[in-house]
Amino acid sequence: MTNIGVYICHCGTNIAGVVDVEALAKRVAKLKDVSLARDYKYMCSNPGQDLIRDDIKHRNLDRVVVAACSPRMHENTYKKVLASAGLNPFLLEIANIREQASWVHLDKEKTTNKAFDLINMAVSKVRMDEPLTSMSANVIQRVLVIGAGIAGIQTSLDIANIGYDVVLVEKEQSIGGRMSQLGKTFPTLDCSACILTPKMVEVSSNPRIKLFTYSEVEEISGFIGNFKAKIRKKSRGLDESLCTGCGLCQEKCPTRVPSEYDEKMGKRKAIYTLFPQAVPNIPVIDRASCLYITKGKCGVCKKVCPVGAIDYERGDEFIEEEVGAVVVASGFDPFDPTSKEEYGFGIYKNVITGLQLERLLHAAGPTQGEVVRPSDGAVPKRIAFVQCVGSRDEHANKYCSRVCCMYAIKNALLIKEHHPESEIFIYYIDIRAFGKGYEEFYKRAQEKGIKFMRGRVAEIFEEPASRNPVIRADDTLLGMVTENEVDMVVLSVGMIPRSDSSRIQKMLGLAASPDGFFMEAHAKLRPVDTLVDGVFLAGTAQGPKDIPDTVAQAKGAASGALGVVSHKALLLSPLISEVDERLCRGCGDCKDVCEYGAIELVTLDTRKVAKINPAICKGCGSCVVACCNGSIKLRNFTDSITFAMLEAALGGAL
Amino acid sequence: MTEFSPRIVAFCCNWCSYVGADLAGTSRLQYPDNIRIIKVMCSGQVFPSYILKALELGADGVMVAGCHIGDCHYVSGNKKAQERVETLLRVMKTLGLDPRRVRLEWISASEGVKFANTVKEFVEEVKELGPNQLGVRE
Amino acid sequence: MKQIIKRTKAYYCVECGKCSGSCPVARVNEGFSPRVIVERALSGMKGEIEGDRELWTCLTCEACTTKCPSTVKFSEFIRGMRSSAFNSGYTSRCSQGGLLHSIQRVQSYRDLVQNRLQWISDDLKTSTEGEVLYFTGCLPYFENLFSGFVNPLEIARSTVKILNKAGISPVVSPNERCCGHDLLWTGNVETFQKLARLNVEMIKESGASRIVTSCPECLRTLKLDYADFLEGTDIEIVHISEFISSLIKNNDIKLNRAGIMTYQDPCRLGRHMGIYDAPREVIKSMGELVEMNKNREESSCCGVSAWATCEGNSKQMQIERLIEAKSTGADMLVTSCPKCLIHLRCAVHNQIPVEKEKVDIPVVDLTVAACRALAGE
Repeated sequence: MTNIGVYICHCGTNIAGVVDVEALAKRVAKLKDVSLARDYKYMCSNPGQDLIRDDIKHRNLDRVVVAACSPRMHENTYKKVLASAGLNPFLLEIANIREQASWVHLDKEKTTNKAFDLINMAVSKVRMDEPLTSMSANVIQRVLVIGAGIAGIQTSLDIANIGYDVVLVEKEQSIGGRMSQLGKTFPTLDCSACILTPKMVEVSSNPRIKLFTYSEVEEISGFIGNFKAKIRKKSRGLDESLCTGCGLCQEKCPTRVPSEYDEKMGKRKAIYTLFPQAVPNIPVIDRASCLYITKGKCGVCKKVCPVGAIDYERGDEFIEEEVGAVVVASGFDPFDPTSKEEYGFGIYKNVITGLQLERLLHAAGPTQGEVVRPSDGAVPKRIAFVQCVGSRDEHANKYCSRVCCMYAIKNALLIKEHHPESEIFIYYIDIRAFGKGYEEFYKRAQEKGIKFMRGRVAEIFEEPASRNPVIRADDTLLGMVTENEVDMVVLSVGMIPRSDSSRIQKMLGLAASPDGFFMEAHAKLRPVDTLVDGVFLAGTAQGPKDIPDTVAQAKGAASGALGVVSHKALLLSPLISEVDERLCRGCGDCKDVCEYGAIELVTLDTRKVAKINPAICKGCGSCVVACCNGSIKLRNFTDSITFAMLEAALGGAL
Repeated sequence: MTEFSPRIVAFCCNWCSYVGADLAGTSRLQYPDNIRIIKVMCSGQVFPSYILKALELGADGVMVAGCHIGDCHYVSGNKKAQERVETLLRVMKTLGLDPRRVRLEWISASEGVKFANTVKEFVEEVKELGPNQLGVRE
Repeated sequence: MKQIIKRTKAYYCVECGKCSGSCPVARVNEGFSPRVIVERALSGMKGEIEGDRELWTCLTCEACTTKCPSTVKFSEFIRGMRSSAFNSGYTSRCSQGGLLHSIQRVQSYRDLVQNRLQWISDDLKTSTEGEVLYFTGCLPYFENLFSGFVNPLEIARSTVKILNKAGISPVVSPNERCCGHDLLWTGNVETFQKLARLNVEMIKESGASRIVTSCPECLRTLKLDYADFLEGTDIEIVHISEFISSLIKNNDIKLNRAGIMTYQDPCRLGRHMGIYDAPREVIKSMGELVEMNKNREESSCCGVSAWATCEGNSKQMQIERLIEAKSTGADMLVTSCPKCLIHLRCAVHNQIPVEKEKVDIPVVDLTVAACRALAGE
């Protein structure tokens, strides 16, 4: 015998306009175990909530059903009401009679009947629900940040400054990420290094940030509040504790190979740092190009090193760190336009990408900031930018990469201001100047005489003698197909997910959006959360964005992570699966299907039985079905409850 | 003679198809009222026996709706649902029950239109199949 | 409850405890005691018995019944109490999420047209009318569910092949229903009766005067529990092992040597129906028989009854039985019940708590083994 209270919401006219709420309440009141049934205009309002609270106290209700909007709206609201009235919050069921009845059906009588069935189903379930208590798990009050570009750096600084420890892991040998590759940033034309390096230094000197560079997170196990990460600290080929960053080894190294950091526009040594302000300022020996390691020759760096730091045989180190939350800030890769064969990238020397131009323009880049063209080193006077390369394209990436319009305009302006006599063309479909100061920046570019040509470039070919690229595009504003011979072409390539993002995705159990970037928990309302509790996203790992948005999101991710680790203990949902040890046959089928590794086989007397870790179990119910003899039950969703709901759904037992 | 109005029960998963059904609601899409939804956490939580039990209790059609393959919130629950429904369909074929009374569908949280259309289609199909003989009292 | 006590002679109980001492379940489960249940019944504690979880734990294997010095029919008593509990709203568990009992209940609907003869391949001869009817039972449904580790329909094919070899083209009816054994033993008497009526109609339509079945549970049910429904007919009901045994005796078939075999007496064939020798004669004609320690009336149950009692201790019982079988040194463990076959194979098809070598004796159905051993094939 239970005392169930049923509350039917009018939701203004949203429900009451179709469902006869008063008649419904009368009908519901006759159901077995229902002590009272009320209808009210807005159950979620304060007076509505008070109705429930008062009835629990004065009418001795021990179960509650609210028939209203979707549980996704207000289930938590009503749970709090029950808790505040001293009733276990799990003795509540919601009947969705708005989104799944009054909003989708027209016939009043039939919809009212359906609402009755839905309420009867909720009553059938709540009758058999058991009171449950959330369990508490200790939280490790540290955060792991994967990736130390501007996003990872900002997140780490925010968390550290609030007073919590951070483990920051960066794959490259220096922190700084893509932003360090940039020269000047739009729309302010700040020098990227000038605004980035102070933050980099702050990271290295902050006592709360444990920095691992040239390292990768290989494995993560555990759950929110209790993650264990295995980090591989790759060998630099030297003893970091001895290295002073004097740079002599790099100076004397005889080997030169194309530099990845310079997007192959320049060369680097076999022992090298990425850029002068690298943090840490310690080089790395590239094992593939080092003469000593590959052929046993040379060894110059070892000879010249004043502190004897070089150690060719040094191996990788493995470190385990325990954290309570994880932020993924692993960044992006530029789209490789080789697949866009009509643009001739990789075939025509004078067709380069936006990031390659960025390196040329960089004051400390391979050409000290002078833009010269690859084929002959001449200064190009006629330059064409091609927008939307690999973006907004059903044959490549469908999405708009957001930053390319602005970076093309910026670079065009920089070149024009340095060489006013140059002619610069930007071939576009739309100019997306969405941010603060962006539209004004675009206008400035137009006023400087940069020519904007509206038409998607169809083809680029080369004048063989001069190696001048020629652009063929339909100028849609003029209404004619044009051919334009220039000295150099810059392809504005978009951002794509990093090549190792699928490894990170699998490691953490994350989902990817259709565009391949990591998926946020909710497109509008949860832009930094993921569907894995305790794992957050920051920066371009979640999607293309500029620096202001990246920093804003990084700060948001810090806030999300702090929401986890600022507590000493977390409450875990009790809606999980349980094993009846007497029934369990120890067959292991449940263990095989659990994607979270929540189940182990343990010894009980002479038998083996399954044991579920309540902190890891997500309550998905897969093991419940895998168990052939019903030894596992999902709390408050047993067979009896389902059968009772089915009976109610089908208009009562036959 | 009153037209046969099928009784349909649907098991919808909390993360995708149930949300898709809600979206059909917020978008005010209309579909037949024959359907009653039971919210499960995952389509992988649905026992094949639940489907047969629903038919025993008089359901004319049973739908199981989960996330698209690869998008399951619990990684692979929907794949398990698919295998389990397949086992049940084998049993139903031997029993001589029309497998078309069971429909397994993948509906994402953003597919309100698909939800509404699936219900419309399924109700029409089940109408053609006629009432479930098991629901007829002797 | 008084009726049940009277019918099963429970009032003769002197509380000697021989039943609980012999019970394979009581050995591992402190909460279960046949003596205590009878004691409660005799004290009029109907409600307590009906509401007790342990009411459904009994394997109805009749280890106690065989031993009871006062001839109390304990398994029938449990059956009666379960029916009473069922009427009070209690139900048994059922494996596979309840699917098996569902399948059995669904077959009680008159207008159901099943699709259960797909296993009859071209080389098997069957008829729609005739003197001999082969009652297949739930084998097609077991095949749907358990084909991962066992081939129930091979038993059906082997049975028909052997019948064919004896010159018989048996009737195999598409309208056969579950015999209702499991539902009867878990308290659902009403649905059992529906199934019985439909099966008897089907049997009468076939014109059969003899029914052969490869399942001891179908055998017991048709022979004993259908007695009222088959009243007035003179139909002979035999188990396939009896049939093969007589074929061998009459030299109608000959079996080649298949190896050294040990034999698991199924509860329904052995203790319930008293058939111990026929299967042994078949085995001896295709090899040597080595007995396990517990055999014939002492044979231990395979651990699961009516799909309702599978639990941790069931696997214990199965593992122990397999260890016993393996330690006889036989090449294979033969059983003549599809349920024993499924349960024993199930115990070892995934994780096991002992070393594989202790239990890896092949478990084979008698009819399948005999069919494979047919000379001249």
